[in-house]
Amino acid sequence: MQIKSSGMTDVGLQREGNEDSFSVQDAFGLYMVADGMGGHQAGEVASRVAVEMINESFSKWSKDHVPPDEIFGFPDDSLSREGNYILGSIRLANRVIYEMACEYEQYNGMGTTIVSLLVGSGLIVAANVGDSRMYLVRDNRIERMSKDHTIVAEHAEMGVMTEEEAARSPLRHILTRSLGSSENVDAEVFEIEPSSEDRFILCSDGLTDLATDEEILKVAQKETDPQRLCRRLIDLALERGAHDNTTVVTVFLDQVEKKRGTSFGTLGGLVADTLNGVGRIKRRFGL
Amino acid sequence: MAKLILAFNKQVIKEYPFTKDSITMGRQEDNSIVIDNPAVSGYHAKIDKVGGEYILTDLQSTNGIFVNDEKVVSHKLSHGDNIVIGKHVILFVATEKEEIEGGGKDKNLPLDKTMLLDTTKQRELLAKQKGEPLTTKLPEKIGVISFLDDSGHGDIELRKKLTKIGKAETSEVRLSGLLMGATAATISRRPAGYAISFAGGMTKLKVNGAVVKDSVPLNDFDTIELGSHKFQFYRKELRIS
Repeated sequence: MQIKSSGMTDVGLQREGNEDSFSVQDAFGLYMVADGMGGHQAGEVASRVAVEMINESFSKWSKDHVPPDEIFGFPDDSLSREGNYILGSIRLANRVIYEMACEYEQYNGMGTTIVSLLVGSGLIVAANVGDSRMYLVRDNRIERMSKDHTIVAEHAEMGVMTEEEAARSPLRHILTRSLGSSENVDAEVFEIEPSSEDRFILCSDGLTDLATDEEILKVAQKETDPQRLCRRLIDLALERGAHDNTTVVTVFLDQVEKKRGTSFGTLGGLVADTLNGVGRIKRRFGL
Repeated sequence: MAKLILAFNKQVIKEYPFTKDSITMGRQEDNSIVIDNPAVSGYHAKIDKVGGEYILTDLQSTNGIFVNDEKVVSHKLSHGDNIVIGKHVILFVATEKEEIEGGGKDKNLPLDKTMLLDTTKQRELLAKQKGEPLTTKLPEKIGVISFLDDSGHGDIELRKKLTKIGKAETSEVRLSGLLMGATAATISRRPAGYAISFAGGMTKLKVNGAVVKDSVPLNDFDTIELGSHKFQFYRKELRIS
């Protein structure tokens, strides 16, 4: 499998500081965007702690092949081992930020969103808390691989509000979950099988507030380079006023092996014999 | 300080100054505003103070809430808003300062800034409310594949986020077959629902008779074929015991 990736952030046109953080780690296939909140640079601290903690714990656990029941919190049986590493890393980051926020006055009330993508061998793990999103562009379609944790998204899911109403609602920025706001947090985790030419886009709400899913798809279809795609999406937010920090991480997959041929290997004798037989027959006919 | 004025039949019953970050209203006695009326749910609605704004949220009540004659689920309160719960009316009065500065408009309004709503209280209340019908809450559904062939698998619930189907011992659903891939197909549970993907091997994956080379979303009663195996997908309500 080939992975090409890029990450970019822009303070935008109205904010003084940038509270977003991102991380691009091709070495262990982990990509993240975090959007911090809380005054006096506390938001910046929260988002950076989240990204660094998750990188640290995930890389350690996966390097040591730690059994899932030894990581932070109870493992989720519906997830793979890697999925549980991500889940545990997010829980741990939450606890660290929460305790910092309780302990130090300057960090009171800080919090952050997180969206993370893990590209493993034969497995993609998508996880999020808050309203930073992940999109998958596959077969010329765009699909969300994250769930927004906002009042309006929850209402939309319950069916008492339409998606359009939710996108326009003045309450769309009010989160129901974040890292650092309570002792424990539930992350949303999804697992899928990778496919060649999959393109993942992770972003903060600086982008999704100003561009629809369809608009993001259109831009993604035109770009073949992950870095240029980041640039184009951030430019789109800037053209539209960029009232918030905007961060985009893009990950392009290629040559994902669908193990079509290997079944012969595992079949052992029977097919191998048959194939040898073909050779023998061919030779007999002088081919 | 903002306050709430509770009235019934145009008679003011009581005034409540907004002293806390969150107040609740409902029939149960531990609400900040107790409204003893059968049309009112145990925990009917709440108002949170979020960064200088007051946000009204319906706690999935049976009869809902109305602000200025419009049904709302969540609503940013402005000075003079009339909140109707059953036959009771609650008038929201912002303080003078808030009125002048905010004017109920978005002037100084940080609502385009991300903020966090403390939902702990809401969840506690919802949990307590179990006895009452939660009209808007959707039951959670789980995917099931039901085998139509004679493989003896019967019905299998898709309890994993990613279910692997194939010959490998690590597959959640193990299928035999000469050309079956170690992992032949996977079914994933995504934000938008379930989807099936071809994963490998020489055995073709078909959904409703059409070959799938990559992935397709699954709908109730789709028929899936993998070589000689045939099964149907559907979703059922998950019962939590």
